[in-house]
Amino acid sequence: MKLFTASNIKKSFGKNCVLRDISLEIEKGEVVSIIGPSGSGKTTFLRCAAMLETPDSGVLEYDGVTGFDNGYKIDKKSFIEARSKFGMVFQNFNLFPHFSVMRNLTDAPACVRKIPAKELELQAKGLLEKMGLGGRENAYPCELSGGQQQRVAIARALMNQPEILFFDEPTSALDPELTLEILKVIRALAAENMTMVIVTHELEFAKEVSDRIIFMADGVIVEEGRADELIDDPKNERTRAFISGFKK
Amino acid sequence: MCFLPLAAVNADKFLPMVKQLLSGLGVSAVIFFLTLLFALPLGLLIASGRRSKWAAVRWFFQLFISVMRGTPLMLQLFIWYFCPFYLFDIPLSDLAFCGIEYRYSAVIIGFSLNYAAYFSEIYRAGIEAIPRGQYEAAFVLGYSKSQTFFRIILPQVIKRIIPPVTNEVITLVKDTSLAFSLSVLEMFTVARQIASAETTMMPFIIAGVFYYIFNFLVAGFMAFIEKRLAYYKG
Repeated sequence: MKLFTASNIKKSFGKNCVLRDISLEIEKGEVVSIIGPSGSGKTTFLRCAAMLETPDSGVLEYDGVTGFDNGYKIDKKSFIEARSKFGMVFQNFNLFPHFSVMRNLTDAPACVRKIPAKELELQAKGLLEKMGLGGRENAYPCELSGGQQQRVAIARALMNQPEILFFDEPTSALDPELTLEILKVIRALAAENMTMVIVTHELEFAKEVSDRIIFMADGVIVEEGRADELIDDPKNERTRAFISGFKK
Repeated sequence: MCFLPLAAVNADKFLPMVKQLLSGLGVSAVIFFLTLLFALPLGLLIASGRRSKWAAVRWFFQLFISVMRGTPLMLQLFIWYFCPFYLFDIPLSDLAFCGIEYRYSAVIIGFSLNYAAYFSEIYRAGIEAIPRGQYEAAFVLGYSKSQTFFRIILPQVIKRIIPPVTNEVITLVKDTSLAFSLSVLEMFTVARQIASAETTMMPFIIAGVFYYIFNFLVAGFMAFIEKRLAYYKG
């Protein structure tokens, strides 16, 4: 069952063409990592997928709901429904610094979906326990380590019960030890059949967590395949050069 | 000697003088609080106009801010006071509001618009200092634009702008004395009147002490708010 489909996505910033006809399908429960050199367009693609950038053309569908269709106006209801299908975890966490951990998790669903506070608090406590953050409900983001903040960010994204989670370089602001914390969380989510798309620079991380890896360069998908195959035995010359560069 | 204030004022005159100055201080305080009441929200409105996606709106508010900051407040007070009469031929006596002379309204209009212009630039700097990621996180979580602004952005802006707003508010306390130019009976006007009548500097010294205490309280209150908001970093 396809949860996310991107068809012929193109995006330019001025004269700089960043995405050239990207098409991608994500199945339910699949964990897909997108790797590639800086400037390859992987983050722009993820931002388009998360509706943070508007593509110049193409179609984006989220669990059968169209979120973008070649620039044609999408009615507000569909737009909101499409947006509710995914969650996003940012490189810099982007937690709300003036909210406690608990309020970071509960404010959006309370305010947007009008879910009763008690119900949300129970859900949030359960998620925080699962993330290894039990007892930190009243802490503020500035009192947490980077790894803890990222786990709160993941829990916050999960509060909206998304069908698919997008991660934008979730470990690049973290040291190797904290990266392991996130790896554990992503593995646990994968075990629960959570669909995830992860943009990352870290090949080992991608290999560890993904079912499929996509290698992008110059705004196109150069190669895609099973995680271990693509990392250990890349077919394309460009992919090989990129991966061997990392292994040196 | 009139330059020896303590020698020139005996105890009989001192207390009535303080009473008169306190009534003037009351007027100064009313000007101060009404100005804040109008200028703080108006500043937010002007800041959003200044950041509008429509160029004409942006330019209008940019021009407004430029004029408000580029001309003396006293001159603006005169303009607000006299323009109904000279431009529209409306007798100033007709503009009395609830029995209060128009000069008081003109002072509040003048101060509010002038300070709103300054506040708007402080708001704008505060809003622009909020990382883009905060808007993006709010967007993907489903907040509407107004929810994003009032729940996520504005509380963070307020924390950031407390120090510059404190500066402006302290200046406002002192600027209330400019209302003397429209013969509004605020504390400085009262001090001048007593000083002329009694040929003594004492009222100015007492007024100075009152202004200082007023500002001391204002600064203390702002420091209290700043401390209350120090529970998080960012």
